[in-house]
Amino acid sequence: MRLSGTPSPSEEGFALFDVLQKAVDVGRNLGATYVELRGEDGFIEYIQMDDGRINALTQRIERGVAVRVLADGAWGFVTTSELDVLDKAVRDAYSMAKAAAPTRHEPIKIAETKPYKDTADIKMKRDPRSVPVAEKIRYMEQMTKVIRDYDSRITAVTVKVRTASGLKYVVTSEGTQIRSRQLLVWVYPWVTAKEGARLSAARFEEASTHQGWEYMEKVATPEFVGQQAARKAKLQLEGVPAKAGSFPCVLGPRVIGVLAHEALGHLSEADLTANSAFAGKLGQVVAAEGVYMTDDGTIPGEIGSAKYDDEGTPTSRVEIIRNSVLTELLTNREYAAKNGLRPTGNARAESYLFPPIIRMRNTYFERGDATEDEMLEGIDFGYYCADFRAGQAQTNASFQVGIQEAYEVVNGKIGRPITDLSISGIATDSLFKIELISRKEFPFENGRCGKGQEALVGSGGPDIRFSKGGITFGGKT
Amino acid sequence: MDLCQYAVSVGQKRGANAIEVQCDSRIDLDAGIELGEVNSVSRSVGTEFAVRLYLGKRMGSAFTNIPTREALDEGVSMALSAAKATTEDKDWQRLPEPRTYKEIPGLWEEAVIKCEPDKVVRLTADMVKKAAAAEEGLIAAYGGSGTSIHVMAYANSSGTAVAQKLTSAYLFLAGVAPTGASMTPLVQSYDVKRGLQLDMDRVVDEVASNIRLCKKKVKANSGKFSVILHPQAYSELLQYTLLMSVRGDNVARGKSKIADKIGDTIASPILTITDDGTTPKGMHTSVADDEGVPRQRTPIIEKGVLRSFLWDTYWGNKMGVKSTGNAKRNMRQGLLEIATSNLVVGLGKRDIAEIISGVKQGYLVRNLQGAHSSNPESGDFSIVGNPAFLIENGELKGAVDGLMLAGNIYELLKNAVETAKTPHYLEGTIGPEVVFKDVQVVVKE
Repeated sequence: MRLSGTPSPSEEGFALFDVLQKAVDVGRNLGATYVELRGEDGFIEYIQMDDGRINALTQRIERGVAVRVLADGAWGFVTTSELDVLDKAVRDAYSMAKAAAPTRHEPIKIAETKPYKDTADIKMKRDPRSVPVAEKIRYMEQMTKVIRDYDSRITAVTVKVRTASGLKYVVTSEGTQIRSRQLLVWVYPWVTAKEGARLSAARFEEASTHQGWEYMEKVATPEFVGQQAARKAKLQLEGVPAKAGSFPCVLGPRVIGVLAHEALGHLSEADLTANSAFAGKLGQVVAAEGVYMTDDGTIPGEIGSAKYDDEGTPTSRVEIIRNSVLTELLTNREYAAKNGLRPTGNARAESYLFPPIIRMRNTYFERGDATEDEMLEGIDFGYYCADFRAGQAQTNASFQVGIQEAYEVVNGKIGRPITDLSISGIATDSLFKIELISRKEFPFENGRCGKGQEALVGSGGPDIRFSKGGITFGGKT
Repeated sequence: MDLCQYAVSVGQKRGANAIEVQCDSRIDLDAGIELGEVNSVSRSVGTEFAVRLYLGKRMGSAFTNIPTREALDEGVSMALSAAKATTEDKDWQRLPEPRTYKEIPGLWEEAVIKCEPDKVVRLTADMVKKAAAAEEGLIAAYGGSGTSIHVMAYANSSGTAVAQKLTSAYLFLAGVAPTGASMTPLVQSYDVKRGLQLDMDRVVDEVASNIRLCKKKVKANSGKFSVILHPQAYSELLQYTLLMSVRGDNVARGKSKIADKIGDTIASPILTITDDGTTPKGMHTSVADDEGVPRQRTPIIEKGVLRSFLWDTYWGNKMGVKSTGNAKRNMRQGLLEIATSNLVVGLGKRDIAEIISGVKQGYLVRNLQGAHSSNPESGDFSIVGNPAFLIENGELKGAVDGLMLAGNIYELLKNAVETAKTPHYLEGTIGPEVVFKDVQVVVKE
């Protein structure tokens, strides 16, 4: 939807900068320490197909502004979709910050950063906004067919597609004026299979924030994505139950990636670190020798990459664990100032409806030096975990990862597939049980993280082997 | 309501044979905590419209957050374009017909509307202070307080029109404390009501007493044990397992393991689980669901016997049953799904303290990690209880790190042996602790 009387996104370009800048000036004149306005104007689309039936097909143009004001050492935050009342929104945010300020013992400060005036664009071949709906529906129908044809026991298929294409703006009282392209193409099939009374389910997910619809034509094709999801549901149906307890195991790239994200990445987010098992551990050994873990927002084309974060700070490569030592934390400007660290460009907001908070981007274990043959060598009985369903972490470093594709390892060889289970552990203990890290290249897994708001994140790592005692298997036998 | 009815009339004039429009208007005020201090105050004001229409049996939907006739004109145009592009849904029959609505008392409190930012700041600051005093080392890591004013309207081309208004207020506290080399898990408690009569002392005491126990780390054994699940824990597990299987759409699509089990015993006779969208104390209570169908009380499991599934209008029509008033609309996605309102679990006779005093060896699990990774189709789960407390000879001994629970929801439901006598009023769940026997427990070696 567009406000009547306002220019279209293509025309307005820098005109919105003027609107936001005027509102920033209102806040500055009130005496605010810092004023930040984030504007968005874009196309968003959601389509869901259940067994070939379109259950939702919504396209929308959404425009809105987030106003964040730091005054007297506290934050005030207001969101609005009405651009003609931004002055009032800034005054509201200012008065709310003033209401919170008297209760604070320590006023909030933000780390200094260089203000940027820049445009961050993305070169795409097919803007998802211009791709006809009928073509998207054909893509989903084709994926449904690929999945159905994979195995006659597949009984239900849901395919979800999300796309977005628009512009976002950051304007601050320090002089930052950044306009960035927002782009998303995302697909998610959920597959159910049935044999007798036995039911299985599996999902797959692919997405890009740097390519247009051409990504769905060349990478996330109906064949590739559909077969991945269908294969996992079939394996679940044919699998054997996992044992309960601790076993030697190798976690593959998709699972080790989610472990990097859930078990360690969250503990390294500076807003969570102070309340977590990583509190006070900067500079200390937290993992076995040879373990390196990184979050990098600058890798070209990866889903969590961007030129700037939502506070206007350039993104960067953050070496969280360097040769077993906790080296750096992920920060935004507030937590960089609080902890005397550099702003790492990890402030991210799902949309104008949310304030920016510290989020990961592309989090991964670095490659090691073990050969493929060495990874399973000498394991009499254990597991190889290839794919996950979901995961969750806690402040005491407890992690849980639901596994949807895994295999027994018997006498150093991959064996039977196993049915649903989850793995868990205390990350700060498990890291010391790492025995081998593969030298093999790995792809990133593209996923979504929830921390009160959604962020698109990449995660990965090479095959990593844990000795018995590192990972607990929540099996049934 | 005027704008909803305006959009309905526009859609009809432009050729839609059926159209429904829902409006959600909200004002949310929140004061948030970070690291033991009030960190920010935020206000979110917004009005959203979801349009869903049919051209023959082709469906299209649209969304706008601009409350003007022009924006709704454009919304109807976008929905019509979407409908023209999509395929025919042969199973679609009709939108809900007009119904009579019962008044539900207590859903709106004027005091909430008058609540200003300084009031929520004071409440939040008081809670932080009380938390710090309640237990040594306790840090109010996150949380806050706030209010919400929610006005909803729904109109469709069959003549259904309903408007309702709701208020709510909450206090939320999530605390941690250092434990030597590490940290306790995050312990959470909250109170949420329609008005401002929030029980801060109860919230602070729950967090403080659990943190106290979390500071004592104890070792435990793997095996089969009695496990008491707090409603915070089992409501999450049920949400991703049993309750997915009682959704009518999943029953119709062959995704439910209990699709043919109506009238069968699928749980212990001590378990009664009801979906109740009309109970005045429920935070998901409302006059109507998101397609204007009156909320109702639907028994799901009665004394262990499966009694009913949950339906919306589309799937009810397809399967020849009536909607149970469980339609939930994702406004921005235009997706209409079946969802529970308030899950109400039947009460037992003994107090939880008395129940714990009778357990020789077992666990009390207050919260779960990973319930969302359960298999909704098979009902298999493999999750971590955190915090989880060891019970020995009737006493809570301390917290167990990395305690896993593995099993299948239908086996677990059959192993329920007792429910406590006092309900907890959570958002979307009203229920007591439930005791399960012979639960597979796996502990970290």
